[in-house]
Order: sequence, then C-alpha cells, then structure tokens
Amino acid sequence: MSLKKGDRKMFIFICIMTFVVCFLLGIGSKVVLKPSWAKNDEVKMTPEVGTLYTDLSYGEKESNRFDMYLPHDQTKKHYGLVVYLHAGGFTYGDKSGDKDILSWLRFKGYVAVGINYTLFNEDNPDANVYTQSLEIKDAIPHIIEQAKQYGYSIDQMAIAGGSAGHTLAMIYAYRDAKTSPVPIQLLFGAVGPSSFYKEDWNIYGFDQNTDEARQGAAGLFSVMSGTQITSEMIQDQTYLEKVKPISALMWINEETVPSIVAYGKYDKVQPFKGSQRLLKAYQDHHVDYQYFVAEHSGHGLQNDNKIYYQYMQTVEAYLDKYIPVEESVNK
Amino acid sequence: MTLTKTRIMILLIIAIMAFVLGRLALRTILNLLLGGTLFGGNFL
Repeated sequence: MSLKKGDRKMFIFICIMTFVVCFLLGIGSKVVLKPSWAKNDEVKMTPEVGTLYTDLSYGEKESNRFDMYLPHDQTKKHYGLVVYLHAGGFTYGDKSGDKDILSWLRFKGYVAVGINYTLFNEDNPDANVYTQSLEIKDAIPHIIEQAKQYGYSIDQMAIAGGSAGHTLAMIYAYRDAKTSPVPIQLLFGAVGPSSFYKEDWNIYGFDQNTDEARQGAAGLFSVMSGTQITSEMIQDQTYLEKVKPISALMWINEETVPSIVAYGKYDKVQPFKGSQRLLKAYQDHHVDYQYFVAEHSGHGLQNDNKIYYQYMQTVEAYLDKYIPVEESVNK
Repeated sequence: MTLTKTRIMILLIIAIMAFVLGRLALRTILNLLLGGTLFGGNFL
C-alpha cells in the first residue's frame, strides 16, 4: 500500500515537472521559432555579400554616427541608398539592432545605412523629435559623400524605419524631401506616429474634454516637439502649428513619395486612429501608398505574421519598381 | 488500457496543454505591453 502511495506521489511530481518544462518550451518556441519566410531574409555577414563600416561620423555629438553596409559589387555606375532608422520611442535603441534588415538591403544591391541620433534621456534632456529630425537631415549629405569616398556613387534613395525611426523617416521623406541631395523615391515603415491631433491619442486619454487630458497632451507634445505647448493651446487648437515640424502627415501633398506603412489595430504605444488619418491624407493627395493593418496586433505587429510578410513582400516589390538596382557594368 | 499507458496519455496531454499555455502566456504579456488580441492572427 505504501509503495503505491509513493508511486502516485512520484507520478504527480513527474506531471508537475512535465508541465513546467513544456510551459517553458512553449515560451521559448514563441521567442526562437520564426516563420520559414523570415529565415529567407536573413543574410549572414560574409565578404561575398559586402563590407560593413561602423560608427562613421556625421556630426559633433556622441550619437552622430552611422553604419554603412556596402554591397560587394562595386562596378555599377550608380547605387541606390536605403536608410533605415532604428526604433526605441525616441529614448533608446541603436542602429546595430537593425543589422538583419540592413544586411538584407545590402544583399539586394543597395548601399544600406543605419543612423544613430541623439536620444531623449537624462544625459540629453534637450533632445526631442524635432532635433532628432534635424540630425537625420544633416546626416544624409555626409552619408552620400562617405559612400562616394568608398567608390559608391549615390543617385537616389529610400528612407525607412520602425516606430520612432518610422516617424523620423516620414518627417524626412515628407518635410525635407526638397532639400535632399538626391531624390527620395520611397518611404516604408511600421507603427510610427505621423501626427499629434489630441483626439487621435485616445490611448493616453487625450481625447477627453477635461483639463487633465489637455495638460497631459500639452506635456507630451511639448517634450516631443521641443516647444512650449500649454493647455490653452490644446483647447484653442493653436498647438497644431507648433507640432507641424514633427507631424509628417501635415507635409503630405501631391508630390509625396510612394509610401508603404503598417500599423497594429490594438497599438498601446502610438494611436491607431492617427494611422487612419494618415491613410486619408494619402488618399486625398493621390499618393501611391500601401497601408497594412495588423488586425490582431499592437505596436510590435506581433500577432500577424502574414500581414508582416505581405508588408515585406510589398516593400521588396516597391524597391524594385521605384529604386531598381542597376545592372552591373561587367554584365 | 494498462496503468502505464494511462499515465503516458496523461503526461502527453499535460505536455501539450503546458506548451500551448506557455505560448499563450507570452502572447498575453506582449499584448499587455504592446496591445493585441489573445486569439486570431498567428496560430497561438
């Protein structure tokens, strides 16, 4: 009888251990396992693929650095440049985090560049989205000159990014396109806020008609824009002119470059409602756009691999269409 | 069914349930941080 009791205890113990191990395996599988199509885009860093120069300088500030991924084939007359700006809520992140996509772009034959910008934090309390956008604007001529020095003549470019990087990419593509040293042919990115209409920012309660909501909106938009915005400005709508320099949407017109964007319907970080306003702006101004909605996801587009796959397929098709890689001179 | 077979079946069911719950747990945590639905989209 006592042997049976011990046997049962042992079985319960094995059951508990099995549960714990398989539970952890389940978590691990979600982190590690990637869809097969994602593996196809992984490009290992080898000399055959190209060269990587890291931490090249474009300004005096510590963060004014960029990484340049140069394709192996150096025989083409001109190259397309694709800039990819990193995510991180304007407060953290690094260009090294985008190694996979930058390597993929380089593998496709582009000069690919990741840029760091001064992040808003305790060390840089004066940094904001506007100063970051100016740093990106300053960086582009340096990048093109640096590529030329390495023997790669840039004649056109695309700009892209994720989240905060997407916002900065849109600002450059829509606000600063006319000052770009080479024509911007394409923008692509995901989950970046493009405007600051308080009624869209319902995820933070700014859509409420209360003093607290107005103060909250004034505080956040002041920090982001680097200008003093008051509750009164929020009330009388004059804040919109103050946030225009960082509102990519407000610069969209008939000349806006083809754009591919993706947003999560349940985004808790930036408002999905803002992306619908962006969609309307594309439609109103007849922009060649592709707008993807991840119906089950938030800021990471994490629950809709199929949508993300379609987004990446479209990015590839638009790159081929609007910024085609030249044939090699030797061919 | 022998006792051993029954126990293997129980262990198998526990393993599958735990694996699924592990995936759902991570999805829940990510959804809390980023937003998203518990079901739909990707398988689990």
